[in-house]
Amino acid sequence: MTPLLEVNGISKRFGGILALTDVSFNVIEGEILGLIGPNGAGKTTMFNCIAGVYKPTSGDLVFTLGGKSQRINGRKPEKMTELGIARTFQNIRLFSALTVLDNVRIARHCRTTSNFFRSVLRTRFQRAEEKEIVDASMRWLDFVGLGHHALANASSLSYGDQRRLEIARALATEPKLLLLDEPAAGMNPKETRMLVDLIHAILDAGVTVMLIEHDMKLVMTICKRLVVLDHGTLIAEGGPKEVRENPQVIEAYLGRGAAHA
Amino acid sequence: MNIGKSLILLVVAAVLTYPLVPQSSDYIIHVMTLAMVYMILAMGLNIVPGFCGLLDLGYVGFYGIGAYTAGLLTIHYGLSFWVIVPLAALNGALWGALLGAPTLRLTGDYFAIVTFGFSELVVLFLTNEIWLTRGPLGLPGIQPITLNLTWLNDAWYFEFYDKTPNFYVVALLVGLVFFIMRRMEDSRLGRAWYAIREDPLAAASCGVNILNYKVIAFAISAAIGAVGGAFYARWSMFLSPDMFKFWESFLVLCMVVLGGLGNIKGALLGAVILVSLGEVLREVLSSLGLPPESRFMAYGLIMVLIMRFKPAGFFPAIASSGRSNPLLIDLQKRLAARNVPKEETRDAAT
Repeated sequence: MTPLLEVNGISKRFGGILALTDVSFNVIEGEILGLIGPNGAGKTTMFNCIAGVYKPTSGDLVFTLGGKSQRINGRKPEKMTELGIARTFQNIRLFSALTVLDNVRIARHCRTTSNFFRSVLRTRFQRAEEKEIVDASMRWLDFVGLGHHALANASSLSYGDQRRLEIARALATEPKLLLLDEPAAGMNPKETRMLVDLIHAILDAGVTVMLIEHDMKLVMTICKRLVVLDHGTLIAEGGPKEVRENPQVIEAYLGRGAAHA
Repeated sequence: MNIGKSLILLVVAAVLTYPLVPQSSDYIIHVMTLAMVYMILAMGLNIVPGFCGLLDLGYVGFYGIGAYTAGLLTIHYGLSFWVIVPLAALNGALWGALLGAPTLRLTGDYFAIVTFGFSELVVLFLTNEIWLTRGPLGLPGIQPITLNLTWLNDAWYFEFYDKTPNFYVVALLVGLVFFIMRRMEDSRLGRAWYAIREDPLAAASCGVNILNYKVIAFAISAAIGAVGGAFYARWSMFLSPDMFKFWESFLVLCMVVLGGLGNIKGALLGAVILVSLGEVLREVLSSLGLPPESRFMAYGLIMVLIMRFKPAGFFPAIASSGRSNPLLIDLQKRLAARNVPKEETRDAAT
């Protein structure tokens, strides 16, 4: 079976620094893939390459949808979203002056079409679309359990709720692949448990999940497969158990990194 | 809330009927008309720094383009005002898109400098292209606004030399622009703009093509500015390049900031405050024996005070018109009907 996303020898160079060196792995449809590694390993850079924020210096990203494969590296973030790749951010990036509902409504942008003239004239089509936007947004807000906060201000939510709102916003773009950048960061144990349930629910909704996470307990319990990066290179790939026992991974986390610092 | 609303309606009704009162003063009507011209400009400018978060220091350029478009079309082709308004808007939008498409990749200060340069360019063009604009001599003899209803009744041909009809024409334009702004704010377009203002990267990740939406914002903003200019040309019946100096851009920007960036009502209030303040200062400063230019210092002082005490302006709320959309009122009712247990919300907050 062809993987949903094929990462093929991706390198990313920032001036003299190689943030990613020839990284290759596959994301298989319907799995939760964990991307781990020490700080500065290039995990977020990898996400940014997949999400279209950075253009990889070399290598290929191949996205397969409905049996049709296409090379997608270098596409703009909005094109990636349209294609079906959504993401959340390591530092929460909500539209904080807007309401919770508006945050999710904006994410429906790429699945709707009303333009200036339709908006001003408020045509029947536009009104139907607006209704569809509100309904879909509420569906996703209820999905992450924030439905009753819909009309509150996004900045008034608690930290954990803000993270869930980001997930709802990403889901509202109807992705095939969801990139979660440290979703559990700053969450208390109860919120983390809710997050685990949420990620499983996302998977059941037919969305493949790829996540960066530092909470090893979380990663080891929900990911069937892990990819480990260190200094921009892929050092291990496999199930949680193999990865945990891999000497290179142990060295990356405990040995060499500490000595260099 | 409801009392406030009816109070506003009352004030609007009082202002709109004022010119019909026999004792009304021409001066007051003139000032109110001027305030409404600035309302149009402030609402139009609001789209760029208010909705999209881009500093625009060259708005008067589009005002000037609209004014000269209207003036020249009137003098050379004798077109009706009602035809000229959409033409001026289109011409403004065209220049907005032409300026915006290459420069909107710039961010922050760099973009502000380009817009500033553009408005200076417009003034230089108006001053130096004498074959078209008569340069510093100005463009006199523009016909006033006419209303030709002879197709209804042979006697119904009106020329608006008087203050009162002009007042109602601009009031109509303000109403129209206000309506369009509200509709845009509560739509896919307005939400995309607010998203860009709040966080461009997150907006792009939501599928908003940032550059396109910035260009659209710039074009619509320019079109509204040009509409204001078109009215101004037919109202003042004389144009000269020095009416469109940088100072005007700054004044309109002050109105938007004073009212609250991104708030439509704020732009209206800002225009009223600064225009009436200008009139008051004219009286006060001359009675103190100060030159009229010292009013700039007063404006500066006011901006400093606003920044110190009300940095978000009088109406800081954005995207507020969506709240009155029937869809959201309906949603609000549904949410209330769900009757969420209070414990759960408190839990999430801790």
